[in-house]
Amino acid sequence: MTAAPDHSADERPPLSEQLGVRLRLVGTALVAGVVVATVSVVAATVLSDPTASVETAFALGSLLFGFGLLGWSGAVALGRGIESMQETLDTQTGWTEPDARRAMARIIGFGLGVMLGTMFVGSVVLGLA
Amino acid sequence: MISSRFVLKRLLLLVPVLVGVASLVFSILHLSPGDPALTIAGERASEEFVKQVEESLGLNDPIWVQYGRFIADAAQFQFGESFIIQRNTTVREVLVNKLPVTLELAIYGQLIGVFLGIPLGILSAVKQDSITDHLTRIGALAGISVPIFWSGPLLILLFAQVLGVLPTSGRISVLYNVEAIRVTGLVTVDTLIAGEWDMFVSAVRHMILPASVIGVYSMALISRMMRSSMLEVIRQDYIRTARAKGQGAKITVLKHGFRNAMIPVITVIGIQFGGLLGGAVLTETVFAIGGIGTLLVEAIKVGDYPIVQGTVLTFAFLFTLVNLGVDITYSILDPRIEQ
Repeated sequence: MTAAPDHSADERPPLSEQLGVRLRLVGTALVAGVVVATVSVVAATVLSDPTASVETAFALGSLLFGFGLLGWSGAVALGRGIESMQETLDTQTGWTEPDARRAMARIIGFGLGVMLGTMFVGSVVLGLA
Repeated sequence: MISSRFVLKRLLLLVPVLVGVASLVFSILHLSPGDPALTIAGERASEEFVKQVEESLGLNDPIWVQYGRFIADAAQFQFGESFIIQRNTTVREVLVNKLPVTLELAIYGQLIGVFLGIPLGILSAVKQDSITDHLTRIGALAGISVPIFWSGPLLILLFAQVLGVLPTSGRISVLYNVEAIRVTGLVTVDTLIAGEWDMFVSAVRHMILPASVIGVYSMALISRMMRSSMLEVIRQDYIRTARAKGQGAKITVLKHGFRNAMIPVITVIGIQFGGLLGGAVLTETVFAIGGIGTLLVEAIKVGDYPIVQGTVLTFAFLFTLVNLGVDITYSILDPRIEQ
């Protein structure tokens, strides 16, 4: 079983490196979201009503974005407490606060990507329709 | 002493939580079936009129424009006007009228839960495996197991129908006009401020049954948590040391044990309060008290989206505020938590 990571200030990498890691984390998910949104909106437009498909894609993106934001805040606010509780109760599942934050950051990035992708592709599609 | 940095950090966390909730509400309402313009205009309305309504609500704008407008309005707590439930009334006004009803119920329910649950939990832990402990545990188990929609009507039958000592429904007797003395919206407080004793007694009598119903449920959870937490604390070495030094059992438990045992109980109280706000729907329905819970259910049923959005965000805001209070209380009880 892995122990909860030590968050001491000495072990932290420089700020630019931390920022780079975070940007990469959210950025790759964002690009994936944009690609997924583009493909889905174009495919859905060919098969059905363009307005409805754009609205559904954007709403799904905002659903993911909202879920990610709530999960991220929950991990930041309660993560350490959950880790300590797992240690105290000796029920460690391997869940850690940094892992949860990273996962939620990816979901936020993906959701935001879907929203942005839908917005750009949707503007074109709805403009043509 | 609580550091301002700690409080600021917790306050800043409110922003992503509220944006997250707002995004979820927006997406769920847009993914759910139904056309708000058609709901407002009525099913027999002409197509032209429906289009006019859509135009006035901004539903013709692209969805990202609607999303941006919604988030900006939500940040200012503006959700427009109610479509159906209270036409031409702003959601803010509707909430200002209804929120105190639910808050009052939740506060009294929580007070009953805390003031009965904590002493019972301590008593149960200190007298472990005694008849008192067994009775308290059975009571707590019954409190958790009995649903509100069953205990509510039972209490009404007993105290209102059979014994005739308490009223069955409402917040105050119909003989009184509580709107004339409204200050806070909490009937018991307003009547007290106005010095209207008869009205105050009536308000308290109306509050006893609904507050007891949710209070018992809350009490059951708190007493169980308090018992297990206290049992863990009184087995610690520092408690044994205090007893070995000759300190009385009562003082040891209350002075050294209570504070440490309260930390997990505070979490339960915080979560419970949020639950009481949301769970008040059943109590409000059983006792015919028109609060925010009943309003939300009604708004979902008829498709009054502005009310749904406003109510859900209000719940989220209150819940996060209560959790902020819980965090601050934690750091008072155990300053190491701030680190």
